[in-house]
Amino acid sequence: MKKSMKLGALALTSALALSVVVVATPSATAATCKKKTEVVMLGTIKVEIQNEFLAAASAYNRSQNCYTLKSVPGDRSLTFLQNVAPKYAAKDAPTIMYTLQEIPDMADKVMDWKGTKLVKLVSPGLLEAAKVGGKQVGVPSTAEAFGLLYNKKVIKAAGIDVTKIKTRADLEAAFKKLQAAGKKPLHFSAIWWSLGAHFTNIFHTNVGKTKEARLSGLDDLVAGKANLANNGTFKNWVATMDLLKKYNAGKVNLTDTEYDASIANLAGGDFGFMFQGNWTEPNLITASKGDDFGIMPLPISNNAKDYGNDSIPVGVPGYFMIDEQQSTTWQRKGAIDFLTWLYTSPAGQKRVAGPVEEGGMNFIPVYKGFKIEPKTFMAKEISKFVVAGKTLDWMNSYYPAGLQEEVGKVSMQQYFTDKISAADLAKAIENAWKGKPKTWRGEAA
Amino acid sequence: MIFLKAVKEARVISARKTKKFLKFAGLPLAIFTIVLVVPFVNGFYYTFTDWNGFKTTKLIGFSNYADSFADPKFWSTLKFTALFVVVSLVLVNVVAFGLALIVTSKLRSRNILRTFFFVPNLIGGVVLGVIWQFIFNSALVTLANKYDWELFKQSWLQDTNKAFWALIIVTVWQSSGYMMIIYITGLVSIENDVLEASQIDGASPLRTLFSIKIPLMAQAFTIALFLTLRGGFMAYDVNVALTGGGPFRTTELISLHIFQDAFGEGNFGTGQSKAVIMFIVVALAALVQVTISKRYEVQR
Repeated sequence: MKKSMKLGALALTSALALSVVVVATPSATAATCKKKTEVVMLGTIKVEIQNEFLAAASAYNRSQNCYTLKSVPGDRSLTFLQNVAPKYAAKDAPTIMYTLQEIPDMADKVMDWKGTKLVKLVSPGLLEAAKVGGKQVGVPSTAEAFGLLYNKKVIKAAGIDVTKIKTRADLEAAFKKLQAAGKKPLHFSAIWWSLGAHFTNIFHTNVGKTKEARLSGLDDLVAGKANLANNGTFKNWVATMDLLKKYNAGKVNLTDTEYDASIANLAGGDFGFMFQGNWTEPNLITASKGDDFGIMPLPISNNAKDYGNDSIPVGVPGYFMIDEQQSTTWQRKGAIDFLTWLYTSPAGQKRVAGPVEEGGMNFIPVYKGFKIEPKTFMAKEISKFVVAGKTLDWMNSYYPAGLQEEVGKVSMQQYFTDKISAADLAKAIENAWKGKPKTWRGEAA
Repeated sequence: MIFLKAVKEARVISARKTKKFLKFAGLPLAIFTIVLVVPFVNGFYYTFTDWNGFKTTKLIGFSNYADSFADPKFWSTLKFTALFVVVSLVLVNVVAFGLALIVTSKLRSRNILRTFFFVPNLIGGVVLGVIWQFIFNSALVTLANKYDWELFKQSWLQDTNKAFWALIIVTVWQSSGYMMIIYITGLVSIENDVLEASQIDGASPLRTLFSIKIPLMAQAFTIALFLTLRGGFMAYDVNVALTGGGPFRTTELISLHIFQDAFGEGNFGTGQSKAVIMFIVVALAALVQVTISKRYEVQR
């Protein structure tokens, strides 16, 4: 009995070893593969374009016979680390992963993209946030922007010219015009990630004109040296939040269900503005049955010439990473092949940048050589800001894991609902940052 | 000679016993070891290391525990959980016992009621949380604004104190049906002769309840109290689905807090050590409760 078990175990191990050998031998060229390798990706980039992404994946699977890309859904109520850590522990890590703030946490587990075709096609500025200690940990998916979104029809009817809104006072005047026209000025979301990541970024990105100045703003927070309550930018930022709170006509709701309500409001034709990002554009267009929605900067001071008042935060919402610890050579090759196909082949580009109505993801291209440009109004407006160099950094790319939850769910929502004062908010943000690892200076997460 | 034979026989018997034991208990024991003992020991070991969720590099002694105790959020969560345990323990059992009394009385609709009261227990915690979130967030608010009910005009889930009661209401609604079944078995196991004797002696229904029924079914209380105590400390799914810890992360129960600490903020070391601390707290509380309840159990 014992002997036979030993023999069985031996047979099993050798079979396993053999299969490893078989898989690892690159016997065939990419075009003529005998066996398809399955490449697993966690999630579908974003839930908003889930169907479009899955369609792109199956188009890729049909286009060649070497790899099968399979997307496994993550648990949407959990963060990226919450999804990935158990998979690594179970030796079941996905080959392709996509995230932003957890990039430093993943740096030692994923492949270096350096020297690949995709990296050469991106401008170095967009690669920076995914570079950890000289290693190119990820490549970008697209560029996104956030700011004040507006319903073109409503704004026009109220006689507002958004290009003339250059200061906080101008903004208030516009809100008043909307009220006078019988419309609701804006929907200001209390949703935690909007406040915790995007609205806080408006402060962190306006702190300095140079990248170094902005990063040293974060350094001060970590060191506990920042005195936010006496910081001019912070005061302006809080005053802007107060203004948005004052004219907010949306129903305050602190849960995630608020997102759908905000889309319905702006698309409904009753609301003029909303603080959000361009990822809402497909949903807005669908909900309003084809109206146009634009994006404009959120001016935070009363001097039109102040840094940031004429620009919108544009950044990369996430980077693709390829696991190096638990994947085979073929799986890694397949992962690179799929992403390269997606962003460089004509068929892939159509899927990425094409309009939603045609099954595309309506992404703003970040790789050189794109033959397809997005056609929607907001996407074109963002391109104009990018071309004119009127963009602000996404400092939220540098937020340590868990910080945007802590700040967004606690202090920002408390300030939003008048539970704490501006001084308390300043203290809370300072405390949230204190002692956090400075990943932007190469510290380990 | 006889002695040796006896020894040999004893050996054979004990070997047979071991074999029998392994035959019946081997598989369950192995599964228990693999899915419970090993992860527990492993997790305990992790608390003394710099585990980051993926790997450990060195032993760091008790500093994870020190960090856990120094975390003010841990203490506030612990306090909130303790309050939740006490209130839910009392209310679940009072309601469950009341329901059990109703459905064991001579009511004609008692069988329908039994099913009716038990059904909430068959709905999963997450589904239940989502349903009640809708009730508190939308249904009640809409009705309150229409009919001018001051109490529900603002969603209960946006105020820490009201969100606490929302958690309690949903927990009571969910688990009292189950505890009711335990109390029913306790109530029907009381022999009729004792009840008849008390009736002949002229005891009032209330007197019968407190002097005869409750003492004779104390075992049911031991079980039900233990289950609700444990359930209160371990509550997670309703917490996540109903309040999600909000507003302002003030309604996070200990399980959710540990999960957030480890997986949300990546503090796997402190998260794990908080889980160990919680295990000790729950074990102690349960031990005390069972010891005290056992004293009230009577043998007939």
